[in-house]
Amino acid sequence: MTGAPVPPPDAPVAGQGDAKGTSPGPTTLRPARPRWRETLGLLARNPTAAVASLVLIGIVLMTIFDETLAPQGPSEVSVEDRLQSPSWAHPFGTDDLGRDILSRVILGAGVSLRVGFLAVGIALVIGTLIGLLAGYYGRWVDDVLMRVMDMLFAFPAVLLAIAILAVRGAGSGNTALAIGIVYIPIFARVTRASVLGVREEVYVRASRSVGASDFRLLTRHVLPNAAPPIIVQTSISLAFAVLAEAALSFLGLGTQPPNPSWGLMLAEGRGFIDIAWWLAFFPGMAIFLTVLCFNLLGDGLRDVLDPRQRTLMAGSGR
Amino acid sequence: MRATRPLALAAVGTLALSACGGGESVDTGGGGGGGEDTLVAAVSAQPDQLDPHVTTAYASFQVLENVYDTLVVPDPEDLTMQPSLATEWETSEDGLEWRFTLRDGVTFHDGSEFDSADVVYSYNRIIDEELSNSFRFQNVESVEADGADTVVITLSQPTPNLLERIGSFKGMAILPENAAEDLDLTTEANGTGPFQLESSDASSTVLTAYEDYWDGAPSVDGVEFRYITEPAAALTALQNGEVQWTDNVPPQRIESLGGDDSVQLETTPSVDYWYMSMNYDRPPFDNRDVRRAISFALDREEIAEAAWFGAAEPNQTAIPEDSFFHLDYSPFERDPEQARQLLQQAGVTTPLTMGLMVTDEYPETVTAAQVIASQLDEVGIDVQIEQLDFATWLDRQGAGEYDAFYLGWLGNLDPAAYYQEQHQTDGPNNYQGYSNPQVDELLQQGATETDDDARKEIYDQAATIIVDDVSYLYLYNPDVVQAWAPGLSGYQIRADKAINFENVELP
Amino acid sequence: MVVLAGVSVIVFALVHLVPGDPVRLALGTRFSQETYDTLRERSGLDLPLVQQFFTWLGGAVTGDLGVSFRSGDTVTALIAERLPATLTLAFASILVALLIAIPLGTISALRPRSIIDRFATVVSQFGISVPDFWMAIVLILVFAGTLGWLPSGGYVPLGEDPLGWLQRLVMPAVVTGTVSGAVITRFVRSSVLEAIGADHVRTAQAKGLPARQVFTWHVLRNALLPLVTVTGVQLAYLLSGVVVVEIVFSWPGLGQLALQSVQARDYPVLQGAILLFAVVFLIINLVVDLLYTAIDPRIRR
Repeated sequence: MTGAPVPPPDAPVAGQGDAKGTSPGPTTLRPARPRWRETLGLLARNPTAAVASLVLIGIVLMTIFDETLAPQGPSEVSVEDRLQSPSWAHPFGTDDLGRDILSRVILGAGVSLRVGFLAVGIALVIGTLIGLLAGYYGRWVDDVLMRVMDMLFAFPAVLLAIAILAVRGAGSGNTALAIGIVYIPIFARVTRASVLGVREEVYVRASRSVGASDFRLLTRHVLPNAAPPIIVQTSISLAFAVLAEAALSFLGLGTQPPNPSWGLMLAEGRGFIDIAWWLAFFPGMAIFLTVLCFNLLGDGLRDVLDPRQRTLMAGSGR
Repeated sequence: MRATRPLALAAVGTLALSACGGGESVDTGGGGGGGEDTLVAAVSAQPDQLDPHVTTAYASFQVLENVYDTLVVPDPEDLTMQPSLATEWETSEDGLEWRFTLRDGVTFHDGSEFDSADVVYSYNRIIDEELSNSFRFQNVESVEADGADTVVITLSQPTPNLLERIGSFKGMAILPENAAEDLDLTTEANGTGPFQLESSDASSTVLTAYEDYWDGAPSVDGVEFRYITEPAAALTALQNGEVQWTDNVPPQRIESLGGDDSVQLETTPSVDYWYMSMNYDRPPFDNRDVRRAISFALDREEIAEAAWFGAAEPNQTAIPEDSFFHLDYSPFERDPEQARQLLQQAGVTTPLTMGLMVTDEYPETVTAAQVIASQLDEVGIDVQIEQLDFATWLDRQGAGEYDAFYLGWLGNLDPAAYYQEQHQTDGPNNYQGYSNPQVDELLQQGATETDDDARKEIYDQAATIIVDDVSYLYLYNPDVVQAWAPGLSGYQIRADKAINFENVELP
Repeated sequence: MVVLAGVSVIVFALVHLVPGDPVRLALGTRFSQETYDTLRERSGLDLPLVQQFFTWLGGAVTGDLGVSFRSGDTVTALIAERLPATLTLAFASILVALLIAIPLGTISALRPRSIIDRFATVVSQFGISVPDFWMAIVLILVFAGTLGWLPSGGYVPLGEDPLGWLQRLVMPAVVTGTVSGAVITRFVRSSVLEAIGADHVRTAQAKGLPARQVFTWHVLRNALLPLVTVTGVQLAYLLSGVVVVEIVFSWPGLGQLALQSVQARDYPVLQGAILLFAVVFLIINLVVDLLYTAIDPRIRR
């Protein structure tokens, strides 16, 4: 799973009553079992999300073992063998340079996913930090930070990515950087909104009154409880990051040939759609499937992590 | 649903309002040639502007070819220079003075008469204002009128290729006197060509026939150049009948379109050549043996087949087969063993990393680069492909920030154009840093030798040395590929890729 | 306002950070040094950057966005030329999107976990996950190529040829509309769900109001807020030009213009276009805020 595990709550706070979690109550109820285990349990009950997670785990495994799994190297050019339709020798066919598409799709998973994870990683870390600070400290900090976010947000995403890539040069690393920067405002906003909600919670105020330091508060109380929407956003952004990499490669700016990123393969296959559909079809399906799974996972997580719905589900399940 | 209806209505309303606005374009026969006899041509890009002396974009010249004339033009078949606005010319004994006799009875689109003042104005505009093609007039000392129907060009040195310099394409077009003051040349045109400019916007550029064209009015009523970037869309439009001509044909479609009855596909060798160049400032690429090794390691046939699907002729020199100046010289038979030996000899430890700069402005080169990479991999050279957009590419070329790059020179007609600027010491386009005094001398001679056979001799010698030294690593001459509606007649596909519709007749 | 200022600085800086020399690009590969120098001077590119920035900014404030380096037209003219196409596609897409999203999202919220709900989820997932250029090319091949029902692209103004206008609008609007529709469907669903479970709805039910009235008045009204927001975001996105779809369908919109100006390093056009997008974005935000206060009386207080 992509989200950080939510740590179990620590010292009880006065006024919360029995923390055994037997009855649905106000949204600040702390469950008896560690949250992440309950999350997993609830998630498992949602078949689509469960399947999606399994597929994603499969894809990640495929990425790790890509070299062993791929029958051929990604750059074995063999012009005589080019544009062959799918067959036993080449289950996904060959491309315009005679390279085995199945191998390229398998190896491409690594490239596309790495870009996606790196991009979202950048956006997550920086965006969450900004949102955290803005939401928690409020006033001028909030103003300044959110204004800067607005400025970034007002930029059309595609153009911002293109501009960043033009400045830094193309390539997977820079593509991840460009996409990451584009997504920072979203994470900042989501975090900020969530933090605003949590900030006024009783246990936070109480901790503050007891004299807990800001840092401790932020890390032990605010962040973990503000986490759910951020986790959901992560999953969704991963989906979009993979799509964005594909679009940028389509425009010629993303991954460099001959690296087999799915987006690049799709771009290369675009010119062959009417004579050799398999060039674009298989990487397209791969993108579609991966993106779909990230979205389904995100949906499932949202259903599970949204406190209101969670208590509804938890309550009705018994 | 009450709440959504206003929203939907508002959306539709705005939709209708916005659609009514704008669009000065005359979409003649929106579905494809409807009542009017207009040829619709699908081109892949929009002209950036229409001033022939300023623009350098091929997309602009596709249009301007039909709107303006030059004093002389390349013959469609063999590209030798033929009379156009000039009917005859003579050179003085010392070769420093050329007298052009101008054609009678030529009028511009606005009805005004053409005479020597227009030629003088046009050429002096290019020279005095340092416009894009002023380098072609380098040897020109003056351009003067001698009466209304003669123009005298005085040179600083004999220039055997003067005709090519002033007539190879419409960048040296003849404008009416004071055109730049009377018109906004970036969006308006007043030429002597077979078609006049009617409109140009974001969708298409429309030309209408000029009845009083000096070579006879065109057979079609007009031409619409429609911009369709996506090849699949362009070809679909051609097969549908929405357009009747296109040059947006990717090489891999050649085979399938060849057998397609709804489309007439033609190819012809072009005057372009594509090459690889290495940076002499970056060892070990300054070592002749290393460069020769790379040349031996390549299989040009395979590259041409892979990137161009056979629509390219491998060539180890620059000048294509069909030209009078062609030299048949291929010293580099594919030999990986020899390549490896040469590398060893040069003291290079493998794997040697080599960055190869390509631009997606020419997508076939990206494909070719990958084939090159796999071929060079066999001899221990690890090619790192760097795909850049054209602007960045040019920057880095100019700054010398590359190991090797891959590009072409297009639209060359004269051997000087093929070899001089790129291989002369400190030549304006000698980015690689090649310098060979023998070659310099030969090129100088070739630039002033007026006898064609002697010229060929000289350039043959120069070319041999250039190829042996691998100043450029020549790869191939690609074909021109165009497709049009079956039954379309009067159009000739040309090696210099000029698009001329003056004699076209629709099926 | 501050945002706008910030954006202009970022735009200018970013655009000029990009390597690539517009003069060199414009002159092609064969030119003389004098030609280069003259052109550079003529376009003001040899002035110090700060001076260029303030010249541009000063002009922009009065509505003069400068002159395109590539074509010599004024930037405003170039943008105005492409505005109808972009507006048409944007609003058509939103229309398609809402036509998909509102019925689908509402019904699936009313009957959670039913067949309709599952179907809506599948459709919305599909819409979000499919790469738009892929869908675009497939549609062209099928509807323009194989079936020959629709033209393969291009744009015709409504006034000239209403049928042609509509025919060319269908495919691009479907592509972008489906993607936007998918996004909006999810919001509709979740906000309707939320609204149904909200306290005041239950109160209304408790009061005994007829179900229909409860539904339309209270539920929709509150579900409308997130819908307005997300529609606004989608509209802003569509108005800034969906580059890829425009390229595939030869749709002469602002996205294409922006991409061309990046490739040609046509700074004035690029700066003008991005500034315009930022302004549009801010205006839409403003409109959304106003709609909020109109719809939700609580906020008005």
